[in-house]
Amino acid sequence: MEARLTLEVGLDMKEPRRVVERFEQFALEHELPMGVTFKFQLALDELLTNVVSYAFEEGVRDPVITLDLQLADDRLEALLQDNGRPFNPMRDAPVPDLDLSAEDRRVGGLGIHLTKAFVHALSYERVDGWNRLNLVQPIGAHREDQT
Amino acid sequence: MNVETSYSGSTAVAVVDGRIDSANAKDFDEELSAIIDRGVSSLVVDCGGLNYISSAGLRVLLIAIRKTNEAGGGLALCSVPDHIREVLEVSGFVRLTKVFATADEARASFS
Repeated sequence: MEARLTLEVGLDMKEPRRVVERFEQFALEHELPMGVTFKFQLALDELLTNVVSYAFEEGVRDPVITLDLQLADDRLEALLQDNGRPFNPMRDAPVPDLDLSAEDRRVGGLGIHLTKAFVHALSYERVDGWNRLNLVQPIGAHREDQT
Repeated sequence: MNVETSYSGSTAVAVVDGRIDSANAKDFDEELSAIIDRGVSSLVVDCGGLNYISSAGLRVLLIAIRKTNEAGGGLALCSVPDHIREVLEVSGFVRLTKVFATADEARASFS
């Protein structure tokens, strides 16, 4: 099973949905387990939503956001790149306190928290003005989750 | 996403289906706010037809939990699909709201 998909993402709040639905279609075409698809889709959605919402100043010139998906050797990989302001979700996102009451809870950081919980391996680097996030999800390890 | 609501006094059951993400969380917020603004203090959100929720949707639920708590009632969820339940568990939302098997059980928890 080997496949690739490269997507350009526009700077628009409707884009994360379009892109993750395209990913969902890719996952269906390649018969990925539903559990893997859902978790990866949610992670991509949260990361893309963050980039679209916060990575660029208003009126920025030439914003570029790209997503490369690769399926090989029973694992799914995604490379999400943008030329926005530096943001390392592993280090810069607030860590939510899940023990607080509804009144005291803040939702900031929850998307990244879910992403970290749902993605097997997540790594970040800043290279020549680009944020590069790499996501890896083994497929085989999740097959037994499927019903 | 679609929300269908039935009212009974200050209790309401909102049946939500489809997908809630950053693209439509605002619509979901408007739907739940409109229900609460009608004097509903105890709100059951039936997630039987919900197939996707991201943190943008959780934020809306948190706001509705706060508003209904403030009104002296609360918010309960029911018929939550397994993969959505995992999102609620990982995000700690199972500690903020009760999750019931059926809408009837959820509604009964308020009486």
